[in-house]
Amino acid sequence: MIEFLRLCAACYNGVSGYERLPKRMIGIMEAQPQFPPWIRRAWPSGLTVREVKTLLGELHLHTVCQSAHCPNQSECWERRTATFMVLGNVCTRHCAFCAVNSGRPASPAAGEPERVAEASARLGLRHVVITCVTRDDLPDQGSGHIADCVAAVKQRLRHATVEVLVPDFRAETDAIRRVLASGPEIYAHNIETVERLTPKLRDRRFSYRGSLKSLEIAARFGSDCFIKSGFMLGCGERPEEVRRTLEDLRAAGCVAVTMGQYLQPTGRNHPVAAYLTPEQFQEYEQLARQVGFVFAVAGPFVRSSYRSEAIFEGQSRAQASRGASKTAGCGVYCHAD
Amino acid sequence: MRIEVRLPDLGDEDDAVQGGVVAIWSAQPGDTLEAGDDLLEVTTDKAAFVVPCPVSGTLIEQCVSEGDRVSVGDLLGVLEAAG
Repeated sequence: MIEFLRLCAACYNGVSGYERLPKRMIGIMEAQPQFPPWIRRAWPSGLTVREVKTLLGELHLHTVCQSAHCPNQSECWERRTATFMVLGNVCTRHCAFCAVNSGRPASPAAGEPERVAEASARLGLRHVVITCVTRDDLPDQGSGHIADCVAAVKQRLRHATVEVLVPDFRAETDAIRRVLASGPEIYAHNIETVERLTPKLRDRRFSYRGSLKSLEIAARFGSDCFIKSGFMLGCGERPEEVRRTLEDLRAAGCVAVTMGQYLQPTGRNHPVAAYLTPEQFQEYEQLARQVGFVFAVAGPFVRSSYRSEAIFEGQSRAQASRGASKTAGCGVYCHAD
Repeated sequence: MRIEVRLPDLGDEDDAVQGGVVAIWSAQPGDTLEAGDDLLEVTTDKAAFVVPCPVSGTLIEQCVSEGDRVSVGDLLGVLEAAG
């Protein structure tokens, strides 16, 4: 039976096979998904997780870790890092890969910037990542609120670095500059997938070219900022499309890129087309460096902000390694040297 | 001393929807385990998670079977702690 299910899982992992399977079988497999051996995490003790969850609850804050059912959540939280999701947990756009609820969001919460700063201080964060839902309903698309959050964290934690992971802001220069002016060290916007699959995976209001344009504007006005993007693999993209996406991002001015395995968050989301092996991820990471990225990470569990503070460690190590042979890793996700 | 092993919190906002399906037990009743050894594997929608053995000891009982749906806080098994 297990072998049969594994066989079905092989079909399940190919989109076309999935469509041909009887509905009842899909039901069984959705109840018990099969994963290749590298899509495996340790379920941690839960003590730190409980502590972080209580703190977030007290301060009425959301994290993308929770909203996206991220498999790295407990590991990150045990390391006392979390990615705050501001402007609520309801998105005005609906993307087929994403688990965040879409609908009509509430007004931005007053005091949220201060609460993000408070949580960052209480968690003792050195690198604070702030992301948000897309807010097409707001005149400034939420850019002012994000800028306030960055400013509040900067004021409270003078030595912390801040990374923002933001929507495309419809490539409107004012919104992008407003966020840049608050002084984040990293400005990230994810292109999410290759051009051909964009209409299938992302809300129709997002476009591949629009995302590139948005990154280009950020690079033009944020010269003292790392411009970063990321996309998912395993959605059905072809190797030449991955290369093209990397080249396009680099041409738009991105210096950092992340690539991770797409994992279907719920049965309602787009199915996984393929699980790439760790070796395939390594090849893409190499490719990204060949294309000219200063910081490139790829791996099954790599996410946009997963261990993103390594960008700074990588910088200092890259500088140090020019004069010495200090190349010992700070973890598999940092390869800047 | 007997130790109850329960499914730890992964941190999701809603405890009720959190959990997964028991995929496979890595240890059988009577097995001697070290703290940190694999006890069982639980799959969620996104990945497979290995629940590690919390203390060194002997597995006395498996309280859930492969294929069972488990939620945070559910009793998974009972260990007799070493020493």
